[in-house]
Amino acid sequence: MNLALFVHILGAMVLVGSLVLVATSLAARDVKLGYRTLLIGVLPGWIVMRGGAEWIAEKENVNDIDPTPAWVDIGYSVAEPTLLLIIIAAVCSGLAARRGTTGGLRTAALVLVGIMLVASFVAIWAMATKPT
Amino acid sequence: MYDWLLFLHLVAAFLLAATIVMYSAVALGAAAPGRTLFIADRCWDVGGLGTLIFGIWLALNLDQYDFFDGWILGALALWFVATGLGQSVQRRMAGGDTSAVAAMHWIRTLVVIGLLVLMVWKPGA
Repeated sequence: MNLALFVHILGAMVLVGSLVLVATSLAARDVKLGYRTLLIGVLPGWIVMRGGAEWIAEKENVNDIDPTPAWVDIGYSVAEPTLLLIIIAAVCSGLAARRGTTGGLRTAALVLVGIMLVASFVAIWAMATKPT
Repeated sequence: MYDWLLFLHLVAAFLLAATIVMYSAVALGAAAPGRTLFIADRCWDVGGLGTLIFGIWLALNLDQYDFFDGWILGALALWFVATGLGQSVQRRMAGGDTSAVAAMHWIRTLVVIGLLVLMVWKPGA
């Protein structure tokens, strides 16, 4: 349990920390750094965080609890769409970096990263307070 | 009360993680703009203070933990080491002396991971 929790939190820290770096990079119009961080930091962080979550869920039989606790539902409903947003943000910033533009695509990626950051803190709140 | 203290303690810890990631990019050769380093340093300041205040508050708030438990004293020691390294990194970056910044940053990263290990396993609790 402890190792799974450690992996889950470490992945979540890399994910959130990388999202902050992407946000500051895109805001400073450094699209290339933002794009690279999405690929090297945010995506691996998400995979490790999600893998750790599944490991904990399997060990603790969390998915067998009926009804599923609200904090588990919140965790899943934040984590799953986040992957989609990471992919869209990576495509937007990748295209912006390739074209050498800092216009709409950069703004779109920045907005998506902002949404992911807010969602991440909602998930942290749910994991800490475990609302029923 | 406990839930909110834990939430605020975790938010502060995630701010420390943000600093670690941002400085890791610099240590790996990324040309981070000044604004990025400014935000990284403020995350470190607020995160450091937050983890200490809410961490001690949590320890005092819960009957099952004692302030003088080995893992809490160990975490405090690691916190002071990480804070010292962080302040030193900030001073050196501000003064343009980047010679030992990468090495100090990686040591700080290991110390923060050590803190996470103590928080998860709580040896002796």
